[in-house]
Amino acid sequence: MSELQRQHPAAALAKSFDIIRQNIITVLVILFIGGGGEQSSFTLYWLGGSFLFLLIWGIASWYRFRFRVEEGELTIEHGVIIKKKLYLTSDRIQVIDISAGVVQRLFGLVAVEVKTAGSTSKQAKINAISRQRAEELKRLLRSKENLSTEVGETNKTDEKIYALEKQDLLVAATTSGQLGVALSVVGGAFSQLDQIVSEEQMIRFVENNIPRATSLTVILATIIVALVVSWGFSFLSTIIKYYDFEVVVRNDELLISRGLFERTQLTIPFDRIQAVQIKEELLRQPFGYASLVIESAGYGEKEGNSATLFPIIHKHKMFEFIDEVIPEYHVQVKDRAGISRLGLRRYLLRMLWITLPAIALGWAFVPYGVFAWVLLVPALVLGYQQWRDAEVASAENTLVMTSRLLSKTTAIIKKYRMQATRITQNPFQSRLDLCNLTVYVASGNQGRSFTVRELTEQHAFDYRDWLAGDSNSQKDSTDTDFKP
Amino acid sequence: MRSIPKHTLSKSAVKAWRISIAVVLLIIFMIPVALGMIDVFWGDESNLSPWLIGALALVILIGGILAIFLIPEIRWQRWHYQIDEHEIDLQSGIFIITRTLIPLKRVQHVDTRQGPILRSFDLADVTISTAATTHRIPALDQDTADHVRNQISKFARLAKEDV
Repeated sequence: MSELQRQHPAAALAKSFDIIRQNIITVLVILFIGGGGEQSSFTLYWLGGSFLFLLIWGIASWYRFRFRVEEGELTIEHGVIIKKKLYLTSDRIQVIDISAGVVQRLFGLVAVEVKTAGSTSKQAKINAISRQRAEELKRLLRSKENLSTEVGETNKTDEKIYALEKQDLLVAATTSGQLGVALSVVGGAFSQLDQIVSEEQMIRFVENNIPRATSLTVILATIIVALVVSWGFSFLSTIIKYYDFEVVVRNDELLISRGLFERTQLTIPFDRIQAVQIKEELLRQPFGYASLVIESAGYGEKEGNSATLFPIIHKHKMFEFIDEVIPEYHVQVKDRAGISRLGLRRYLLRMLWITLPAIALGWAFVPYGVFAWVLLVPALVLGYQQWRDAEVASAENTLVMTSRLLSKTTAIIKKYRMQATRITQNPFQSRLDLCNLTVYVASGNQGRSFTVRELTEQHAFDYRDWLAGDSNSQKDSTDTDFKP
Repeated sequence: MRSIPKHTLSKSAVKAWRISIAVVLLIIFMIPVALGMIDVFWGDESNLSPWLIGALALVILIGGILAIFLIPEIRWQRWHYQIDEHEIDLQSGIFIITRTLIPLKRVQHVDTRQGPILRSFDLADVTISTAATTHRIPALDQDTADHVRNQISKFARLAKEDV
């Protein structure tokens, strides 16, 4: 491997697909907006042309991409127009990820991604080489004994593997909370439907199949069809996303891999974990299921901020799992502060203000919109439930914040991971001595915040001061230090 | 809210804010002006109601004047800050009062910055960044701003040595 070599030619394809995937939203927008009408053939040419261009670009970048390993140093030469050289020494390399996407699998190849701390890893990705060469590469790059790069099969003895069982995956897919996302996709598809089928045809279709269709049944049928189709979408996308989900616990890091068509691997060192969230989705909570999400600090990777630690787990197994995987996040809470009765009023009012415009709109514009008033019942029940769930609790050096928007979210935050706290109070709250408490933790390149609403001022400030640290008690005596 | 932080911003902040609001307002005011121009020159094709344009201009004008006189004053009265060895305590807001607490251990870097308007009043903003958030103490006298920045950076170093 000591002389410069190219990747497998399939890299050209993989590269073009990578570009398409990164710009998938742009592509979709062009397809939807440009599609239909007289310009459709034009759009087709346009798309074909850009695909050809991408392919040529892919081939060019494959041709220009060469790499070698010499004395534990990986050299990559690349760049179609501007030639760039990248040198990565093995003692700087933190993670070597081997993965296989659709293209790679077609050719029986793998992609190798080399990550160092800090820099983004895009350049240091070898898109397509044989598995054998990839293993050799890994061996060469880790031949020098360095402790921080323990990725691979070396520590097999200490590894614990947690896999998602098939029936749990089915449960996860069935109760997937991505309904909203899927609904909007289906909605978008519906709006494109009239370009394929004319309205007349649709009406005729409805008349033929539902003989005495009143407009009410049509509306109901539309809603039901939309729901079923969206559910199907979210079912499939969950299966694809979490197929063969696996968490491997190593000495100092977690390795999460998942995906049906494209295996995604994620490595999270334990000392990067900033907070853990237990999410009990609306559809899953009645069955006692929840999912676990961890927040981790920046890792040079875009999606490194918030990762699913386990997509679905039954509540009575959950604490066992937390105990074994991330034991420091299993805490026994001592003090807890719920929300007072005064707070309940504000939770209910808020739901009322949110639903009223929707009801008014429905009433005014949708046929049979009078029934929109029925929405008020679940909205108020949700408001009540939000109030019941909201809570701030603390254990030895851990803060537990529980709140609900739709899903109940329990955030477990270590005191020493807190980056900042914020208390806000609007004029209505100030009359009732209530306020909202927000805690920020680092996550990815930005932070993530957790908020509990309508705490009493007393509680909010107590928790804030408690979070701010140990030496906080003699605050008043020391702050004379500062004179502007 | 209880125990308001000790220090206030520079009093000339109010003037600086008034000017920057006025600048923004001037840009927004261009919208009805532009619409009016369209109406005057291409009136037959665009059929915009001149009354509507006038009303829009009036609303922007009245809202703008209120904003110029009230918002900077309220904002100045709300803004308080306090810095000690362990934490930075900020209070801000116009209608919604916000209290922010940043432990000095978490401070990654501090900047002072000033735009043209602040510079003409000899003011500067102090920006405090943590791994998750960015906070701003706006419109301090330049000397105070420098002092605050140095103080935070010194305290932050001390706090980190503790850990």
